[in-house]
Amino acid sequence: MNVHSLEKRLNRMLYKLYPGQFSVQVTDDSIVVKGFSEDWNQIVDVCQRCVVKNSSYHVVNDIKFLNHEPKQMLVPHKTSQQYDQKHYDVVIIGAGISGASIARELSRFDLSILLLDKETDVAMHASSKNDGEVHPGVDLPKGSLKQKYVVRGNRMYDRICKELDVPFYRRGQYVGFTQGWLRPVVEAFALQRRVECGVDDTRVISAKEAFKREPNLSKDIQFVLYNTSAGCVSPYGLTIAYAENAVMNGAEIALNTAVLDMKVQKGKIVSIQTNQGIIYPKIVINCAGVFAEDIARMAKDRFYSIHPRRGTDLILDKKANFLTKSIVSTKTLGQQANQHTKGGGIMRTVEDTILVGPNAQETYEKEDFSTYPEDIDTIIARQSRTCPKLAKKDVIAYYTGIRAATFEEDYILEWGHHTKNLYHVAGIQSPGLTTAPAVAVDVSHAVVERLRIYQEVKENKAFDPIRKGIPMLRTMSLQERNDLVRKNPDYGIMVCRCEEISKGEILDALRSPLKVHTLDAVKRRCRPGMGRCQGGFCAPLVAKMISDEYQIPLEEVIKSTDGSNLVYKSKKGGASY
Amino acid sequence: MKHVHTIVIGGGPAGLAAAISAHKQGVSVLLIERESKLGGILKQCIHDGFGLDRFKERLTGPEYAKRFIDELDALSIDVLLSTTVLHIAKEKEGYCLDVVNADGVARYSCKSLVLSTGCRERTSRQVFIHGQRPSGVYTAGSAQYFMNILGMLPTRRCVILGSGDIGLIMARRLSLEGAQVLGVYEAKPTPSGLTRNLLQCLEDYNIPLHLSHTVIKVYGDSRLEGVEISKVDENMHPIPGTSFRVDCDALILSVGLIPENELAESLSISLDPKTKGPFVNQYFMTEKEGCFICGNALHVNDLVDHVSYCATKAGAYAAQYENKKHYDQPVQVEGNFGYFIPQRIRYPLGEDPIACYFRVNREMKKAKFSLIVNDQIIYTKVFHHVKPPEMEFLELKQDLFKGAKTISVKMEELL
Repeated sequence: MNVHSLEKRLNRMLYKLYPGQFSVQVTDDSIVVKGFSEDWNQIVDVCQRCVVKNSSYHVVNDIKFLNHEPKQMLVPHKTSQQYDQKHYDVVIIGAGISGASIARELSRFDLSILLLDKETDVAMHASSKNDGEVHPGVDLPKGSLKQKYVVRGNRMYDRICKELDVPFYRRGQYVGFTQGWLRPVVEAFALQRRVECGVDDTRVISAKEAFKREPNLSKDIQFVLYNTSAGCVSPYGLTIAYAENAVMNGAEIALNTAVLDMKVQKGKIVSIQTNQGIIYPKIVINCAGVFAEDIARMAKDRFYSIHPRRGTDLILDKKANFLTKSIVSTKTLGQQANQHTKGGGIMRTVEDTILVGPNAQETYEKEDFSTYPEDIDTIIARQSRTCPKLAKKDVIAYYTGIRAATFEEDYILEWGHHTKNLYHVAGIQSPGLTTAPAVAVDVSHAVVERLRIYQEVKENKAFDPIRKGIPMLRTMSLQERNDLVRKNPDYGIMVCRCEEISKGEILDALRSPLKVHTLDAVKRRCRPGMGRCQGGFCAPLVAKMISDEYQIPLEEVIKSTDGSNLVYKSKKGGASY
Repeated sequence: MKHVHTIVIGGGPAGLAAAISAHKQGVSVLLIERESKLGGILKQCIHDGFGLDRFKERLTGPEYAKRFIDELDALSIDVLLSTTVLHIAKEKEGYCLDVVNADGVARYSCKSLVLSTGCRERTSRQVFIHGQRPSGVYTAGSAQYFMNILGMLPTRRCVILGSGDIGLIMARRLSLEGAQVLGVYEAKPTPSGLTRNLLQCLEDYNIPLHLSHTVIKVYGDSRLEGVEISKVDENMHPIPGTSFRVDCDALILSVGLIPENELAESLSISLDPKTKGPFVNQYFMTEKEGCFICGNALHVNDLVDHVSYCATKAGAYAAQYENKKHYDQPVQVEGNFGYFIPQRIRYPLGEDPIACYFRVNREMKKAKFSLIVNDQIIYTKVFHHVKPPEMEFLELKQDLFKGAKTISVKMEELL
């Protein structure tokens, strides 16, 4: 279809639906939608309708969102000249799973690498606020980038997690179907997935067989689509591990560093202006998640749009662990229409808790991680169909993440269209965690290949793929535990009673290669405060340890983001305890 | 493996009293405490009012604890500090415990066990408060630790959710430290804390108490900037259209305490859904032979004096424990009880009067307690001004339970 007739067809379609409100302009690589609306869901709907499947066109949303001032990206208050006038071979914007894994793969080469992120830690947005499933990829049709990388990514997990010392378990995934008559269709689907898509562990099993292994599945389930390769990992645990390994191998990580502007000349990014100085890159990789479009705009290379989509996950008390030991969900045909999520499920996480969710809600807010009562109720209602014994009273925590979806609902992994030294890793959403190891390898190769046009790029001879994680004493045998305590008595002193985390483990977190001194950073590295008291007992103790270890006054210790200080200085001072 | 007769887990007020009492029965006792100092939560309760029943004096928390710690020291009772119990296993005779501390992992066995593991606070997640996750949301106990132990001010201007006693005490404490307490909001139509605390901590400091109100949302993405408060209906559901924002830098939660019974549960001891502590007989013994429980792990008490009293008894029973031929008779509960302890009576009966603890499920001006054995009312007592926040205590002679085939207790309102 040529540009002109495509444009005409789309305009006609929109005119029928919303006369005079929207218009479409088709460029070389994009379908630009213009107009105005007061309703965000309408904007999303209109842009989704303009997607041309199996084409190289990306939808760009230029619809004016009326009565809504666009929110500025939250940036750190602090400014410095720490990185000013520094030159790097590669600057990676965004330290989520994509940015961190690419930094690590690039550190195999003798390059100067800077991974920067505006937050106080890596994995602060979507990479920490997701369910941590390593997907088998059974739900993905052939032809998408997601599908291209999912099987390869999934298979890389055993090796990557071993190298980076990150717990990973293949728990298996059961997708229950409630309509028995669908079985022949699903059998055919499974065969297609095995043969054509390479998801070779896909099979259909009887409900009876599934109930034997998962006795708490709903008895409405008639048969089950089963994949043994589905796994679970801590998404932020893996991101942190990748980031630490990158640092060990020479990459630099600049946290609290926000990209404010770029200088682009003759189709090339010359410099990046940040709150920590002006940085000169040879190549820039855009891994900015929900802000990827904003970075693309700064780089004068905006040919896609991101529409943020919220998802909430619930964590249950360990008392509910009987619900499942794997990953379970149900499908009923006709109920999942227009849902860009597999509908979520119930899974046993790598930390051995039960996670329920996520749901999916379109939003224009890119970093509002608020939770709402309706989310909890819908998720519980939805997943009660999978496990009827699921109970709201067992919920001990919940959080919201925001997916960085493009309207095509696929990744963008390509060089800039107009700006030549920019590589986009955008639109990364589920199964972005699963695909990250494979995507990182390919992106790093593409970048090295490009650099080799201008300069010699040697391998990094000192590269060490092995990163040692923090020992988890609670999972050890008494003998191993005893041996470790004998070596370091701090491993015998408990700080977090609910999750059994010792002083030694917390000190390890504070002394790891990537120094981050927030309360939540410690929590993400070794789990104090993640148990049933939610830090009621240990948060003050950990805050005190941070203050002692880094020699910063207690009133300057923060929870997570800039300004999230925990306490104020008292006029009186306290007991010396 | 080392063997002692009785192991007491938890060195707060309950564990201290239980260990001392068990020791006085002439058996070997080991007290295990996970923190580096004895005293449990009393360490941070620097307000006074402790010990009025037991010592007829107004002591602060640390002073109250010190009385017991001094006695424990004088009796040279073995204590393991900074020591965490990893697992407990029930053996044929007694229990086997794996513990860890800075010296490594060690194993102990004992004939009887006393669980005095206290309680923990309910969190914001359990009361379903929404919004982002700023700093400045603290349970009253955490705020108290920051304030009284670390000497830091957790807030300058706060709202307190829940009218539990710790919340009320923190309202006064924060006011004294120069913080502004804008109000205490309680979802229930009646206050949860003791009347004396309502008077001494709120009224005396002009802090308003708003009943039938709850916090539904927090504002702020780094530090808390405000809370959204809504009126609630009789089922404690927010009434749409009644919410308003209050600007503050912290939300202090005093939304209830939950007995900490993870160790009991690891022994497959079932919990009474009403007390959230194990079912016990008149000897404070759980359904596992030789495993006793006392203090806030059994049920949440209002006063530490009660905790010490119950723990003293439990410690002595644990020391005297022999696995004799026995049978248990359940105590049926009728009428306006919130809960009643003990939930069963063990036969053969002993000599001591039976300590009974209960709460009513609603406020009553005048109420009659009846003990009904074999369908006959054999004991009654009238109580005045009973209400759910105030625990009631009663001692019944064991003789009353002689030959019982059915036992029930009844609480009825007298008009």
